[in-house]
Amino acid sequence: MRRVVITGMGTISALGHNADSAWKAMREGRSAIAALEGFDEPTLRVNIAAQVRDFDPAAHFERKKLPLLDRVSQFTLVAAREAVAQSGLDFSQSPLGHRTACVIGTGVGGEQTNDASSRKLYAEGSQRLHPLTIVRRMNNAPASQLCIEFGLRGPSFAVSSACASANHALAQALALIRSGSADVAVAGGTEACITLGVLRAWESMRVLADDTCRPFCKQRHGLVLGEGAGVFVLEEYEHARARGATILAEFAGAGMTADAEDMVAPSVDGAARAMQLALDDAGLGADEIGYINAHGTGTPANDPTETRAIHQVFGDHAMHLGVSSTKSVHGHALGAAGALELVAVIGALREGVLPPTANFIDPDPECDLDYVPNTARESAVGAALSNSFAFGGLNAVLALKKAG
Amino acid sequence: MSESVQQQILDIIAKHGDIDTSTLKPESTLTDLGIDSLEAIEIIFDIEEHFDITLPEQDPDFDADTAGGLVKAVEAALAAKSDGEDDSAA
Repeated sequence: MRRVVITGMGTISALGHNADSAWKAMREGRSAIAALEGFDEPTLRVNIAAQVRDFDPAAHFERKKLPLLDRVSQFTLVAAREAVAQSGLDFSQSPLGHRTACVIGTGVGGEQTNDASSRKLYAEGSQRLHPLTIVRRMNNAPASQLCIEFGLRGPSFAVSSACASANHALAQALALIRSGSADVAVAGGTEACITLGVLRAWESMRVLADDTCRPFCKQRHGLVLGEGAGVFVLEEYEHARARGATILAEFAGAGMTADAEDMVAPSVDGAARAMQLALDDAGLGADEIGYINAHGTGTPANDPTETRAIHQVFGDHAMHLGVSSTKSVHGHALGAAGALELVAVIGALREGVLPPTANFIDPDPECDLDYVPNTARESAVGAALSNSFAFGGLNAVLALKKAG
Repeated sequence: MSESVQQQILDIIAKHGDIDTSTLKPESTLTDLGIDSLEAIEIIFDIEEHFDITLPEQDPDFDADTAGGLVKAVEAALAAKSDGEDDSAA
């Protein structure tokens, strides 16, 4: 089977506007969760979020291009530029562009455009919407914008599975390269979901924390919404080796399952099967895994369920691996979550440092694994998993190996 | 009106196309001016917002027609609007 490696990564999130600043903050357990900005709604109970700060679209895009770009596409392009630059690939060189796929996950797509349109129609009573509303709003806009900017002419589409969108997108890109449909893929996840409509909807579900995100600890109160994008250049191994590319990590496998049980309640079995399938797909034994970047939302339901699933898959080895949730620092960026977290996994593999679960106070008896509380730990890791479990019971787990 | 309808329309086109207003003529077509179809619908939207009117769906053909044709269409829409307002005012 064709092997797939990662030769470029880029990200923008509350932690910063590039992968290096994100990884540094993750390693230091420096949380970017802060007071919610930009909403003059005194009745809003959501008071914190992990928002992308100091982002000036005009600094990144031409004035004439901006009307086509929802914030979600802006994030995607900024992250992709970093990833593509790092890879050193030039897609304008035929036939590379034709052999390059583009798969971008997003949960809610052009939500800022959607929210602004609703406001215009229902609050302002306007009879007309901006003519670019459709092409800004559609879920494939981020993928299409990447194709246009870089000349990617292979298979391209959006993937949507709520909080697992990024991992599902990366898994699809892996499959496209393995099957020979593409030699390279630009893939990841993106989300710009912090609008009044989305905040109100999450508020009603009563799963948002009001203090901060404290995954796996006794005092956890729920999740904190985030936003951002993570984009990666995936490349067939021989293709990367032949050109002497720097390999960040090997993308060794993926496992995907559906719980087929409940729209919101997580399932031990669905999560465990996805982890086991990822191990099998990567040809890894459970005892080879040194780190799991957990889904770890910080909700009362997710964290004990995920803990039990890890016990089920790893048996005795479960107590000998580090499990952390970096959502404690970058929030839950829904469709971008798995992409931001892949930066943590790559950092752990490359530097032999496990990023901590920040904001951790006291252990919860129901969550009894090693969550690397608050302080990073040096640990040579040869292989790692990255978990994403979505509302709707859709699970996607990625398996990564250290390069070389 | 302090500025003619024509001038206001030419200003909107100039702003979109990064075109010097002085080079814009009523007989210029949007194609001549290097404005693509996506920009053309943005221009129509801005004109509709600016004058608070709704231009007809098909007529005129803004790709082939001229800025002058656009002015006529806007004037017709403004006249229809003003008639409507006269009717409703009492």
